[in-house]
Amino acid sequence: MDILQEISDNLQKGQVSKVGILVKQALEDKIDVKTILGSLIEGMGVVGRRFRDGEIYVPEVLIAARAMYAGLDLIRPLLVQTGATYIGKVVIGTVKGDLHDIGKNLVKMMMEGAGFEVIDLGRDVSPEKFVEAVKANQPDIVGMSALITTTMVNMKDTIEALKRANLRDKVIVMVGGAPVTERFAAEIGADSYAKDADTAVAKAKALISNKR
Amino acid sequence: MNSRERIISAINHREPDRTPLDLGGFDFTGIHVSSLHILEVALGLKKPNEPVKVVDLVQMLGEIDEKLRETLEIDTIPLRGQKNYFGFKNENWKPWTFFDGTPLLVPEKFNTIPDKEGNIYQYPQGDTSALPCVKMPKDGFYFDDVDRSKPIDEESLNVEDQLEECKLLTDEELSYYEKESKRLFEETNYAITFPSGVSGTNLGDSFWIPGWSLKNPRGIRNQEEWYISLITRKDFIRDVNAKMTEIGIENLKLLHQAVGERIQVIMISSTDFGAQNGLLYPKESYQELFKPFHKRINDWVHRNTTWKTLIHSCGSDYDIIPDFIEAGFDILNPVQISAAKMEPERLKKEFGDHIVFWGGGINTQTTFPFGTPQEVEEEVKKNISIFGEGGGFVYATVHDIQARIPLENLLALFRAVNDVRGIKVQGL
Repeated sequence: MDILQEISDNLQKGQVSKVGILVKQALEDKIDVKTILGSLIEGMGVVGRRFRDGEIYVPEVLIAARAMYAGLDLIRPLLVQTGATYIGKVVIGTVKGDLHDIGKNLVKMMMEGAGFEVIDLGRDVSPEKFVEAVKANQPDIVGMSALITTTMVNMKDTIEALKRANLRDKVIVMVGGAPVTERFAAEIGADSYAKDADTAVAKAKALISNKR
Repeated sequence: MNSRERIISAINHREPDRTPLDLGGFDFTGIHVSSLHILEVALGLKKPNEPVKVVDLVQMLGEIDEKLRETLEIDTIPLRGQKNYFGFKNENWKPWTFFDGTPLLVPEKFNTIPDKEGNIYQYPQGDTSALPCVKMPKDGFYFDDVDRSKPIDEESLNVEDQLEECKLLTDEELSYYEKESKRLFEETNYAITFPSGVSGTNLGDSFWIPGWSLKNPRGIRNQEEWYISLITRKDFIRDVNAKMTEIGIENLKLLHQAVGERIQVIMISSTDFGAQNGLLYPKESYQELFKPFHKRINDWVHRNTTWKTLIHSCGSDYDIIPDFIEAGFDILNPVQISAAKMEPERLKKEFGDHIVFWGGGINTQTTFPFGTPQEVEEEVKKNISIFGEGGGFVYATVHDIQARIPLENLLALFRAVNDVRGIKVQGL
């Protein structure tokens, strides 16, 4: 089998060490790093779609993501050297007061697996921290996550803080999390809502290409 | 009917004289201290400076006192343990003002001193020299886990480390339960719930995985790692669950000797198997790693006691409710009607003859926090009419009543419940 296909297949099965070995092998075989990255993206894309469609579940996605990072961590320094560009830059975090980050982490994994550069601010991220990160990194997208009804309202505070800092028009704001809805996203002035990680990736790609 | 008879009737699938109401019977049918205080002040049951006692120190749930229980005509009363999640006793109460200004009472060993950023931490056994186990961010409403897990060495993973905190009930605890169950049974007419369950039956609950009462937890103590282990370390999980079941059944025997038939409902499992859009784990994980043990536990309870068994599982459980029923659970909570495939009509029609719905009373993700009082009333009445038909229903919101619920919506909810029940409550 084609080694690139093998990388993708093993990523999907969550074979962490196998993916590492195969990516090393591919590098020794002088396969272009961007092509290797493509196989990781392809594999993670399948994982995302299967998760969205209810064929696989949270544990399997977490395992596949570990396998993805086993490969990605090897090629990342080379990608930087070759000047390969990411398809977009995302600043992501769980909003102030909220310490639940599994959902946010799933989105981050899928985004990285799709070729985005992701700056993860972690959890309990205040509006000020989001603003600072936008200033420092100039991302295309700000992604916010919340699990609880008491904290999801803090998404609005972040959007207001971005407006006050004159940064709101410079970024696409995406929101998600169990209690968040399309309607809520519209009410608080977010640009987009995604109900799962795979949809978040698809929407992020579309929004970025529209913006450009 | 009195409250106890009403609940007994409902959980035996017989329609009671009116819909039974639970608030605070379990730590997932409770109310956040901030909302509780607002409600009690509005009903004239507390002065604004009168504190609320915190009975769940992580989710920050307040104590339902007798005045509120009588006023709202609540039908349940919990038989609580003496110790909390952190392994110290809830005693020697001291005042503490919550971030939002709510006056509270917390146990002496509860840490109220913030770090320099204003966050509050709690410590295993209240020992501030140990690493903190949970954190409430400044201006937050709850505590959440602080990751103290260590890298896992597959060779040295063992069941004993994983179950360090899983112990048999002590003589002191048993004599407390005996005395307290007698008091509640003889001095009140409420249905008595056993919210914490016994150590050993609550298999694989990620809420308990971090081991907050332990200063140096060993084994798998991180939520993500635990989820992954259900796929990658099946044999280990099976061994852990088997050992827990042994301890759990032993504890059920001891508890039964102490409380007899004085309690009506016991919490067996509070592991979440559902997520918003579907199951959290593959169905096979439940069937292989949990169901056989749940069946043994439920069978023991049914063979030896009159208690009913409750499983709490958030999210979209639709695809495994038949498995819960086959495993012998009598009662399902919180009945998250806002999750996929969890519409009240569908659940009642497909499973209503086989499992009791304890919850599902209002959509706590949208209607309750963000709807109008009228929308709250309408939804409450609609859900009662669907779930309540023929019994098999105890009214409770989907999970705890959270903070930041508008007062008008709190009042509307209890007004609607009591309207349906033909009760007029002053102040609602």
